[in-house]
Amino acid sequence: MGNEAGTLDERLQAFVAKSRPHVGPPARDPVNQPMIRHWCDAIRDTNPVYTDEEAAAQSVHGGIVAPPTMLQAWTMRGLEPKPAEPEQAAAPQADGPTALLHEAGYTSVVATDCEQEYKRYLRPGDLLTVEGELESISGEKRTALGQGYFVTTRSTYLDQDGEVVAEMRFRILWFKPPQRSSGGG
Amino acid sequence: MARLAATLRYEEVEVGAELPELVIDLTPTLIISTAIASRDYQDVHHDRDLAQQRGSKDIFMNILSSNGFVGRYVSDWAGPEALIRKVSIRLGAPNYPNDQMRMTGVVESKQLADGHGLLELSVRGRNGLGDHVSGKVSLALPRDGMER
Repeated sequence: MGNEAGTLDERLQAFVAKSRPHVGPPARDPVNQPMIRHWCDAIRDTNPVYTDEEAAAQSVHGGIVAPPTMLQAWTMRGLEPKPAEPEQAAAPQADGPTALLHEAGYTSVVATDCEQEYKRYLRPGDLLTVEGELESISGEKRTALGQGYFVTTRSTYLDQDGEVVAEMRFRILWFKPPQRSSGGG
Repeated sequence: MARLAATLRYEEVEVGAELPELVIDLTPTLIISTAIASRDYQDVHHDRDLAQQRGSKDIFMNILSSNGFVGRYVSDWAGPEALIRKVSIRLGAPNYPNDQMRMTGVVESKQLADGHGLLELSVRGRNGLGDHVSGKVSLALPRDGMER
């Protein structure tokens, strides 16, 4: 817990000012064919380089590769419980800007922007880690969804050898859900 | 023996060319299955009651899936050996269930860089409410006479 003084905006900007890259834990599973197949079935992506070993072997890739846009799936937590605080598995990360925004009533979130650059295609067996950093937080904005703050992060995806395989800038909007006069929310 | 379909060659693509429209039926199953396939278990992507409590009219597609459809759309058009280098998207109107997303795209520019044939595409996905997704994709294509 730090110094609690200051307006919400000042406290949010303090997080940005002291933000440093943070390396997350390795992905729970390496890049693998079953998850690729599941993704391709859901997106209905029939590109054979993702799922057909023979066709992929003939291709420029020389073997199966993962769809590049599947990047984030490899390191998403999914339903994996948080190790240190199992009772708060659904709560936002404590002591971060997310917790501050949550306390201030900005409890709903949508993603708004995603920029990804792929250095190479991922192959089954690649084990990713992500180095993430808070890049910026906007002032309070009026949006179609309600009042909110845009939070932008940068992520660098590394493989098992520490090589950069992809970079991402990601922006989400934390907003106050509209009041429901009927109550019962 | 599986045969690999042809991939567009850099030389045969003209700036201004339009990609054929792709219509995605936004069924609840599609929205939920794509969220789960991307390991995104945020309740707003699969639980209508909670989505409504959070100010949304229904569940809605997650951004990872929007990104996935953009990737699929360009590689459906360009062929299996087109290499996706960058995808930058911005979301607008949510993809709610029981709507359709109509995807369109245009070749904005092309250039040779380090021997690679690179295309810049702009892509949009419109639903009944407006633009769900708009963005740019950088794609590398094989070139005429290039050995694979």
